[in-house]
Amino acid sequence: MTKKDFEFIDSSKKLDKEQIRPSLKYWEDVWRRLKKNKLAMVGIIGIVLITLTAIFGPLLTRYTYYEQRNEFINTPPVLQIYQIEEDAYIYLTKQYYLLLVTEKGELVERLEETSSNTTLRLKTYDYLGEEILINYTYKFSTDPAYKNIDFSVTYKDVETFEKTKSVLNRTYPFGSDSLGRDVMTRVMYGARISLTVALVATIVNLLIGVTYGAISGLEGGKIDNVMMRIVDIINSIPLLLYVILLMVWLNNRGLWTIIITLGSVYWVGMARLVRGQVLSLKNQEFVLAARMLGVSKTKIIYRHLVPNAMGSIIVAMTMMIPTAVFTESFLSFIGLGVSAPQASWGTLASDALGGLTNYPYQLFFPAFAIALTMLAFNFLGDGLRTALDPRLRKG
Amino acid sequence: MSILLEVINLHTSFFTHQGEVKAVRGLSFVLEHGEILGIVGESGSGKSVSSMSLIGLVDEPGKIIQGSVLFDGKELVGLPKKELENIRGKEISMIFQDPMTSLNPVFRIGSQIVEVIMRHTQITRVDAEKKAVDLLELVGIPEAKDRIKSYPHQFSGGMRQRAMIAMAISCDPKLLIADEPTTALDVTIQAQILELMRDLNKKLNTSVILITHDLGVVAETCDKVIVMYGGMVMENASVLELFDNPQHPYTRGLMKSVPKDVSGTRTRLEPIAGTPPDLLKPPPGCPFSPRCPHTMEICIQEAAPMFKITDTQSASCWLHHKKAPSVLNYIKTTEEVDS
Amino acid sequence: MSSFFTYWGESNQLGNYYVKRILSALFTLFLIATITFFMMHALPGGPFSRERALPAAVEAALNAKYNLDAPLLVQYTDYMWGLIRFDLGPSFRHLGRTVQGLIATGFPISAKIGILSVLAILVFGLPLGIISALKQNRPADYMVMFLATLGVTIPSFVIATVFLYVFSGLLGWVPAFGLTKFSSYIGPVIALSGYSLSFVTRLTRSSMLEVLSQDYIRTARANGIPEWKVLYKHALKNALIPVVTYVGPMIAAVLTGSFVVERIFSIGGIGRYFVDSVGTRDYTMIMGITIFYAALYIIMVLLVDIAYSFIDPRIRLGKKMED
Repeated sequence: MTKKDFEFIDSSKKLDKEQIRPSLKYWEDVWRRLKKNKLAMVGIIGIVLITLTAIFGPLLTRYTYYEQRNEFINTPPVLQIYQIEEDAYIYLTKQYYLLLVTEKGELVERLEETSSNTTLRLKTYDYLGEEILINYTYKFSTDPAYKNIDFSVTYKDVETFEKTKSVLNRTYPFGSDSLGRDVMTRVMYGARISLTVALVATIVNLLIGVTYGAISGLEGGKIDNVMMRIVDIINSIPLLLYVILLMVWLNNRGLWTIIITLGSVYWVGMARLVRGQVLSLKNQEFVLAARMLGVSKTKIIYRHLVPNAMGSIIVAMTMMIPTAVFTESFLSFIGLGVSAPQASWGTLASDALGGLTNYPYQLFFPAFAIALTMLAFNFLGDGLRTALDPRLRKG
Repeated sequence: MSILLEVINLHTSFFTHQGEVKAVRGLSFVLEHGEILGIVGESGSGKSVSSMSLIGLVDEPGKIIQGSVLFDGKELVGLPKKELENIRGKEISMIFQDPMTSLNPVFRIGSQIVEVIMRHTQITRVDAEKKAVDLLELVGIPEAKDRIKSYPHQFSGGMRQRAMIAMAISCDPKLLIADEPTTALDVTIQAQILELMRDLNKKLNTSVILITHDLGVVAETCDKVIVMYGGMVMENASVLELFDNPQHPYTRGLMKSVPKDVSGTRTRLEPIAGTPPDLLKPPPGCPFSPRCPHTMEICIQEAAPMFKITDTQSASCWLHHKKAPSVLNYIKTTEEVDS
Repeated sequence: MSSFFTYWGESNQLGNYYVKRILSALFTLFLIATITFFMMHALPGGPFSRERALPAAVEAALNAKYNLDAPLLVQYTDYMWGLIRFDLGPSFRHLGRTVQGLIATGFPISAKIGILSVLAILVFGLPLGIISALKQNRPADYMVMFLATLGVTIPSFVIATVFLYVFSGLLGWVPAFGLTKFSSYIGPVIALSGYSLSFVTRLTRSSMLEVLSQDYIRTARANGIPEWKVLYKHALKNALIPVVTYVGPMIAAVLTGSFVVERIFSIGGIGRYFVDSVGTRDYTMIMGITIFYAALYIIMVLLVDIAYSFIDPRIRLGKKMED
């Protein structure tokens, strides 16, 4: 060590050593944390996709949600087809309608049934003058050789047992329902209804709940007591019961009825939340300062308190939407939702229930749509909640 | 007096997402039976982590990565969990800063104390309950017989802290570690708690490690003091030496920033400029160098060894090196303390 | 045993707490019944209206029960009096049968699935939540949390229909409807418990994690309490508090069987009756079952509040002692 080592340092050099991390603005920090959460990002992407599908989907398909084609009822998304001619294939529906299909999977027309013998379990159909015989005794046969065979196709004296191939249904990608309507279009249309109801109902809940909770929290004292007692009483039985009762009572199956009903019941959760936030915020200095300056109560609520409680409010909203989607589907499922021919996911599921074993796809597509939507919002909500947790804040 | 606890070059780090946070970087000291040692430092100086490291209470993602802790000759670092559990509460006890949250709210005070007693000693439940009553009386809780049935939320802060102390001394530990036991309490209660600890030290010859950021507490209670900064020891001295003749710029800075002189002369408080170091990327060299008024070239390159000032005082500062320029009262020496 | 007598000694404050809760419950029930009454009254075609198209037998029964010529107050008192005696009136659509009779038939069936579901929820949900908390951020935790997230987001009717299709339609392992063999319980129980089980798992996990980061856990460890005791005695009791709060009302919801699950599995429980009565506008049934559900729910919440007071002494005893 030389003498030089022991020379005093210029003070400017010292300050370099200090590390000052740039502090992030509140929402930047939240977004940064949210981005890290993979599930939440998946949720956001999902929501965007679902919304786009809901808005543009029905416009882009060939069908409307209500147009029916009787000859093509109950066709599934995947067809097992049998070749009879070079360029002609057939598909037998579960109801024993015989459809002419192209090799690619497009439905052409329904072939006319010429005879039917239920004892011998034979049916014949006409194709351009030639006869196609369907023998479906094999479905009921106990002979192990025919275990997996339901029927045979005989054309020009050749009996075929095995399908030629499986193709995707080009005419109805998600299949068709019991009235010959395109399931895909109806599911996409259902997205519109379900999402609209959920969103508007949530906004209504938001407006009522925030105002109620903020007033209750800000006033405090007797008013707060009374207001919270009311909330407690409303909350003392499951909210779903109220919704059902109201729908029965109002007896109207329009979209707006559902929205109003949802909006008039679920606000209590938001009210409680906002009140809690307001209680913890109202004793902070900036509120006291505002009061001192004579700012009106309304202004205090909407320009000071609410923005600071925004974080929790947003999380609550994100979680309310799937609840609304579920409730609306549920109502439709038990027969209290929108009326035919309008299709919400719940009605689609409900209609499909009867034919579940034969046509499961009719139920699965709307059911998955509901599940995926709820998943997406829940992932986002979970992620937001973690991202907004002040304890995890850095910088 | 014989050595009860010897800590040699202790290093504890936390391995987080963002990297290794070096909380303790080379702590060494010796504690004798019946001594009261104070560890002083700011938040982030490593004093709490040090004390928790002694009894293996550092949780993931923290780990002791180097060093040794010899308690009565026995190595504690690396001891299997079960053996550490036997030592904790019996030979070494610890009490913590916030009495409001440090007691389990759903169990009665009495049963919590009895649980500790029965964990470490072979006596009957009835005897343990009697002992619990005695302990509560010892720490100054009136009507102890009724109070053992109470729940923590029925006690005030000061009473809870006393109850904690009762739990900690229930099995006659040789060492009591107190991590900022009075910070969360009123000044008057603080004085009572400190007096209680001094009493226990005298009566039972319990050694105490008292961690605090309050120099006043140190002056009143401790026999000797360690000053920590940035995870390292800056100065190690007897309490008289520390206040009379501090030999480290940080210590001197602390003295100047605390109101002391109650009589006549009024002087300005001088805070120490700057902020504590980032333990994720600690500066090379002395951790105090960014804020020290006497930083030299060598200070930012290499941390100083502990220079021996007297038999009982040493400081980690290059100003004590004979090649360093003379600065007011910093004693030059060539002796270093072995670590 | 001694703790019971100690509780008894603290009974003054405790008594107050219980009385308040019971009165509150009764009041709420009363309110619900009243609201229901006025709603029924306002319904055109409901039990209190004059224009109805019902079979004569039902008309007669209704008129006998709801004295339409009497003033409102008398009707109301009669109705409330009937409620106290569990008389909920005749069903609109099930001729000759009373609402309470139908409930008595349907409820035990729902209860059977309900009890099994509650057991499943507690037996699986609690341990999974604890394991997840203890192995936080490790593979076991991620797996459990993933499944639990699916469980709370996928609606019960989706689970039910998928189960039915796969295990009954495709594989034929379980019957398609009714509660005949033992295996016919599996689907309904899974569908019914899916949401709550997942919720309990998540709740237990987050509650446990929260408790484990508390200072008093650190104190217990510092006093040398063995780790297993720290977890299962000190931590668990505290962690279960929010779980108990959830489980109470959950039991009520599950006991009454989900409307949808019963419909999908064609089980003749009370939920099925409810859905049917909504569809057929059987108003007395709708109202009667609603009150039944509400009463059950309120009772469970009350029981939970009482159980709560045994676990968390802060609820029982408020007073603080001086220093």
